[in-house]
Amino acid sequence: MLEVSGITKHFNGVHAVDNASLNIPQATITSLIGPNGAGKTTLFNIICGYLEADKGAVQFNGKNLNGRAPHERASAGIGRTFQNMRLIKRLTALENLMLAFMNHKGDSFIKTMAYSISRKHEVRNREKAYELLDFVGLKDKSYEPAGSLSYGQQKLLSLACCLALDAKLLMLDEPVAGVNQETISKILSLLRKLKDTSVTVFLIEHNLDAVMEISDRLIVMDEGRIIADGLPSEVREKPEVIEAYIS
Amino acid sequence: MDYLLHILIMVAIYSIVSMSLNVLAGYTGLLSVSHAAFYGIGAYTTALLALNAGLPFWINIPAGIMLSGVIAFLIAWPSLRTYDDYFVITTFAFQIIVFSMLNNWVSFTGGPLGLPGIPQPEIFGIKISSHISFLIFVVTFAALTYLFLNRLMDSPFGRILKAIREDEIFTTSLGKDVMRFKLTAFVIGASIASISGSLYAYYISFIDQTSFTIMESIFILSIVIIGGAGNLKGSIVGSALLIFIPEILRFVGMPNSIAANMRQIFYGLLLVLFMMFRPQGIMGEFAFGKEGGVKEEVKKDA
Ligand SMILES: Nc1ncnc2c1ncn2[C@@H]1O[C@H](COP(=O)(O)OP(=O)(O)OP(=O)(O)O)[C@@H](O)[C@H]1O
Ligand SMILES: [Mg+2]
Repeated sequence: MLEVSGITKHFNGVHAVDNASLNIPQATITSLIGPNGAGKTTLFNIICGYLEADKGAVQFNGKNLNGRAPHERASAGIGRTFQNMRLIKRLTALENLMLAFMNHKGDSFIKTMAYSISRKHEVRNREKAYELLDFVGLKDKSYEPAGSLSYGQQKLLSLACCLALDAKLLMLDEPVAGVNQETISKILSLLRKLKDTSVTVFLIEHNLDAVMEISDRLIVMDEGRIIADGLPSEVREKPEVIEAYIS
Repeated sequence: MDYLLHILIMVAIYSIVSMSLNVLAGYTGLLSVSHAAFYGIGAYTTALLALNAGLPFWINIPAGIMLSGVIAFLIAWPSLRTYDDYFVITTFAFQIIVFSMLNNWVSFTGGPLGLPGIPQPEIFGIKISSHISFLIFVVTFAALTYLFLNRLMDSPFGRILKAIREDEIFTTSLGKDVMRFKLTAFVIGASIASISGSLYAYYISFIDQTSFTIMESIFILSIVIIGGAGNLKGSIVGSALLIFIPEILRFVGMPNSIAANMRQIFYGLLLVLFMMFRPQGIMGEFAFGKEGGVKEEVKKDA
C-alpha cells in the first residue's frame, strides 16, 4: 500500500534520513521506533509531503507521490497526526471533525452560497461526525473547545479527524506519548478495530510496551538509517537494535 | 443635521471596507496593508467610468469589483506560495505602486489634481443627492455586505478560513488546499473593498490620491483590530468609534490644522492602548494575528 524507496534528506550537513526504504502492506500495523533524532518524524514528513526529500520516491497505492502537495496526499487517503498536538483549539471537537470531511460542497466559496447544497452536506457530515465521536468515546465532549480536552482526549480527537478524512493509511506520530494507561489501552484497541476494517496503520512510538503489544511489524531507525525491519519478536533481539538503544 | 448624516455615511463606508479587511486579517489571519489600494481602485474605476463614459452605478460598482478581484488574484497568486511575511511585503509594495500611479499618471487619474465632478448616482432616473438619500444608499450596501459576509463566515468555507488562521499545517493535513482558500479570501476582501471606494467617490464627488495612501490602509487595519478581529460587528463598531471620536476634537474648538495631526496621534495611541490592555479589540474573542508560536512549531515539526 505504501512503498518508500531510497529516501534521503540532509539538513545542513545532518543526515536526517539516509537511504530509507520500506514497504507497508494493507491492513497491518507497523511501528517505527528509534532513539531521539533518529529521523522518524522527518521520514513521516517526507511521506506526507511536508518536506521534500533530496532523493528517493514514495508510492501510495501504486501511484508516485513525488511532487504532490501535502493536502493532495491527505485527500488521497493518507491521514496523519502530529508529534506536537495539532487541532483547532478554539473550535469545538465537533467543528474540528467537520473540517476534516472531504468533498464537502460547502467548502467551495461559490457552493457555500448555495445554501441548500451546503446544508445537505453539513447535516450529513454532522451525523457522521457524531458517529465518529461516539466511536472514539468523545460524544459527550462534542461541544467543548478542542483546547479544553485532556491531552489523551485530544489524541483521540486527532485520530477521529483522520477517520473523518476517510484515510486508508494512518500515519500517527507518537499516538500514545504522554497519555495515561487507560487511554493508551483505548487507543490501541481502536487501532485494532480499524485494522479489522482494513485500515493500515503506520506509527512512531517510544512506548515499547505499547509497540510490542500492537505491532504486526517493527522498523527501527537510527541516525537516519533503517537498521532493522521484521517481526517484533525478532527485531527486538537483534544486536544492532539493542546497541542503538543502549548508546 | 447634515453634519451628523455626513459622519454616519462615512461610518457606513468604512464599515464596508473594514469588514472586507476583517475577512482576510481577522478570519483568515492574512495580514494585508493594501486595502486602501483596492478601495482606491473602486473609487477610480467608478469615477472614470462615470465621468468618461457616463455609465450608471450598477455598472460602475460591479466593474470596480471585477477589476479589484482580478488584480487581487494576480498579486496574491505568486506571493501566497511563499511565507506570510512575504505576502505582507507584497501587499505593501502593491499599495505603494497603486499610490504612485494615482499620483503620477496625470493624464489618466488626474494626478494630484484628482478627478472632480463625479456625477451623483441615479436610481430609476432619480438622482441621489441629499444627505439622507445618500445615507440610505450606502447603508443598503453596508447591510448587504454584512449579510453576505456573515453568511460566508458562518459557512463551512468560513470554518476553513478560521482553521487556517489557527493552524495551517493541521488544516493542510485535513486535505484542504490552504493556498487556494487564502487566495479566495484575498480576492473576496479586495472586491468588497472596492465597493466602499465606489460609494466614497459618488458621495464626495471628488477624489484624489491622498485618500488612498498606506496610512489609510493602516487606518482600516486599526479599525479591524480595535473593533475586534474575526468579528464583523466589531468592524462596524470600530468604524463608528474611530470616525466619531476625532470629530469630537473638532467640536472642542481645536483648529483644523492641529486637529489633523492630533488625529494621527490619537489613532496611534488608541492602537497601542488596545494592544496592551485589550488585544482582542472591543468585540473580538482573541488577539489579532496567529496563535503564538505557530511559526516556530512549523520549523520544528513539519
Ligand atoms: N527542519 C529541520 N531543520 C534542521 N534540522 C532538522 C529539522 N527537522 C529535523 N531536523 C534534524 O533531523 C534529525 C532527525 O529529526 P527527527 O525529528 O526526524 O527525529 P525523530 O526520530 O522524530 O526524533 P524524536 O523521537 O525525538 O521525535 C535531528 O537531528 C533533527 O535535529
Ligand atoms: Mg519525532
